[in-house]
Amino acid sequence: MKDWFKTGRPWIWLTAGAVSVSLIAVLGLLALIAWRGLSFFWPAEIHEIQVQASDGSTKTVIGELYDTEEVPMERLAESGIVLENYSEETLERWLLKVGNREYVPLDFMWIMKPQIVADAKPLDVAKIERSKNGNFYGYITDVLEQGESVFNTSPEQSELREELAQRIERVLDINDQAEDLQNSEIGAINYRLNQLRLERRALALKEQLTDSEEQRIAAEEAQLRADYKVLEEELFAMREEASRDSIVVRDMRGMDVTIPMYRVLDVTFPNDMGAIAKVGYFFSQIGNFVSENPREANTEGGVFPAIFGTVFMVLLMSVIVTPFGVVAAIYLHEYAGKNPVTRLIRIAVINLAGVPSIVYGVFGLGFFVYMVGGSLDQIFYPEALPSPTFGTPGVMWSAITLAILTLPVVIVSTEEGLSRIPSSLREGSLALGATKAETLWRIIIPMASPAIMTGLILAVARAAGEVAPLMLVGVVKSAPMLPVDGNFPYFHLDRKFMHLGFHIYDVGFQSPNVEAARPLVYATSFLLVTVIVGLNLTAISVRNHLREKYRSLEH
Amino acid sequence: MISVTPSNAQTEALDLENLSAEQTALEIRDLNLHYGEAQALYNIDMTIPKNRVTAFIGPSGCGKSTLLRCINRMNDLVDICKVNGEIRLHDKNIYDKDVDVAELRRRIGMVFQRPNPFPKSIYENVVYGLRLQGINDRRRLDEIVERSLKGAALWDEVKDRLNESAFGLSGGQQQRLVIARAIAIEPEILLLDEPTSALDPISTLTIEELITELKEQFTVVIVTHNMQQAARVSDQTAFMYMGKLIEYADTNTLFTTPGKKQTEDYITGRYG
Repeated sequence: MKDWFKTGRPWIWLTAGAVSVSLIAVLGLLALIAWRGLSFFWPAEIHEIQVQASDGSTKTVIGELYDTEEVPMERLAESGIVLENYSEETLERWLLKVGNREYVPLDFMWIMKPQIVADAKPLDVAKIERSKNGNFYGYITDVLEQGESVFNTSPEQSELREELAQRIERVLDINDQAEDLQNSEIGAINYRLNQLRLERRALALKEQLTDSEEQRIAAEEAQLRADYKVLEEELFAMREEASRDSIVVRDMRGMDVTIPMYRVLDVTFPNDMGAIAKVGYFFSQIGNFVSENPREANTEGGVFPAIFGTVFMVLLMSVIVTPFGVVAAIYLHEYAGKNPVTRLIRIAVINLAGVPSIVYGVFGLGFFVYMVGGSLDQIFYPEALPSPTFGTPGVMWSAITLAILTLPVVIVSTEEGLSRIPSSLREGSLALGATKAETLWRIIIPMASPAIMTGLILAVARAAGEVAPLMLVGVVKSAPMLPVDGNFPYFHLDRKFMHLGFHIYDVGFQSPNVEAARPLVYATSFLLVTVIVGLNLTAISVRNHLREKYRSLEH
Repeated sequence: MISVTPSNAQTEALDLENLSAEQTALEIRDLNLHYGEAQALYNIDMTIPKNRVTAFIGPSGCGKSTLLRCINRMNDLVDICKVNGEIRLHDKNIYDKDVDVAELRRRIGMVFQRPNPFPKSIYENVVYGLRLQGINDRRRLDEIVERSLKGAALWDEVKDRLNESAFGLSGGQQQRLVIARAIAIEPEILLLDEPTSALDPISTLTIEELITELKEQFTVVIVTHNMQQAARVSDQTAFMYMGKLIEYADTNTLFTTPGKKQTEDYITGRYG
């Protein structure tokens, strides 16, 4: 035994064990959120269940099986649920997503397994995704045009589906056009009208609002309003077109419900899907998730604005933090005297990394948003007051706050990079008649660029996952507009934005519909990890490229 | 005892005490140097003649490299270093306040112990000093690159791969590249700080031959710990010991009939 210790084997086992534990922890975490997040997109089969209540009556429930769990009987008894003829210790119950939100009290329903009399998965049952009120489950019985059935006799299932597919495509097309019109052209007119309003206000404030100016603005406004009218009519016509068709669905109560087709996003028959169709559906659902806007208080739809906001904010932060950090590191390392003051500053900078991030949020709100932003508004945007332009949380202040948060990381790794450059190269450059500044620009900074990138990678990794400070300086639950759009000046840094991290918090803790939100939490978490990994891999590949280029002499 | 046979008989000996102005490249007058409290150089007084090879020899830590680095003010980089005395280039003290150090280093080139090419292509390494002076005319640069690389006896080996990284060259080639880089900006004086100490014998030989050719155009000052090398390449030799210039004479004289006991002890290998 003593010999065994002497060989050093236990030490190897201990270190290897530590590595294994870390590896398992990381992979386990990724696997869990990936599994729970991605399985949300897989088409769930729809059960049609006959439930017999304790009084002997039966009813039909149609819905997706969402979850099953074992509950001890005691707990059920405590909450007043008594099952006769059942003596087991625990009981299995199923959570069904029954949808049809406007007709049932809750779109999720718990069912005790012993009460289930029959369980079927009929092929014809349809899942209808709607833009309002969530999913609807039931049997499609008819397709209406202007309130009249499009079929002469009662239709075959295959006919029905074909007809349905065509008409849904048409409506989706019209809806897309309408949305485009609303967002781009009508949005542009509204934006321009607001600009004109501000222009008039600005001129009035400066007392330069002459009659000719006033007339010019009024004329432009009138022109825009006229354009607006035309577009609005176009939009109404489209809406009219879209509301032509509707579908009739028999729900689990046995009632026929008419659903207008402009509300329908997709109709699928999950029980009738082959493996390939399921895979296709899976990927199209993921595609929708990353490319669509959220609906219904973030419990439905996609997270595109949040992805965009996260990436945009991180890129903006990188653009701010890199030059600042590099310049500061260069001063500290190259120019500052090697004395206690410099050492003190360096220690202070390193310690900044340890300040809790929420403190940066408070600082950002107090200093950037209220002081700097408020002053900017006074100086540059007096016409918009009292509604603030930069004096309110926004994407620019978020990026700057996170830039300060990550500044120490960039400074420290840049300094390390600078100190690793062999002094022989500096001397070589100086001996050729270069000044110190020329040496820095031509030799030192290019060679330190891999280290700068390392700093940036760490900064991005930290910033992309940070949520707490952002809640104070710019993130919102739902932003009406992206910070980048087609209206001059294209980048609207004063706007608020959505963020994946905050989205997780919002969906997970602030959602009105807890059960619907849970898989979204996993899916969004997985997406956030993917986005961060993606950003990091990009930065790492840039760094490796630079490293290869400036591979230093290995003396 | 090491046998040292000076082979530099073709150059005639100069009277180092009384050089005419045309013959003088550099005058060092009463130079003292301190690193903080410690004194590293004591009252150095010497005149370095033009278009000749001057070697500094001496045991490790004797101050020969420090003296060399005073000549192009490389010691300015060391914060605690204090220099008193004068080094006169064209009758102008290089330690005067109004001297532009970058300009001075352009006129006094330096090659270091270890090859230190920049992480750039061979071509860009050679033109580095020229680009600093704002010369960007491609044809002129091409011309100078060819001339410098030929001058450093490297042209034939690299002419087909000028745009490849300088790190792909061998140690000896890198050192010649560094010499090419230094002579591309046509300095008056070329300082070589143990240029062959990191190289193999064959590369060393190539560089030594090169040094003999370089003195046609430049004044060369070389620091070496290798006495045979000093004997082979230099025209006059300065022996330093403990920060003092012990003896400075024509190489033949110094190695055959040293004037001081310490010099004799050193060159016969009794210490050092």
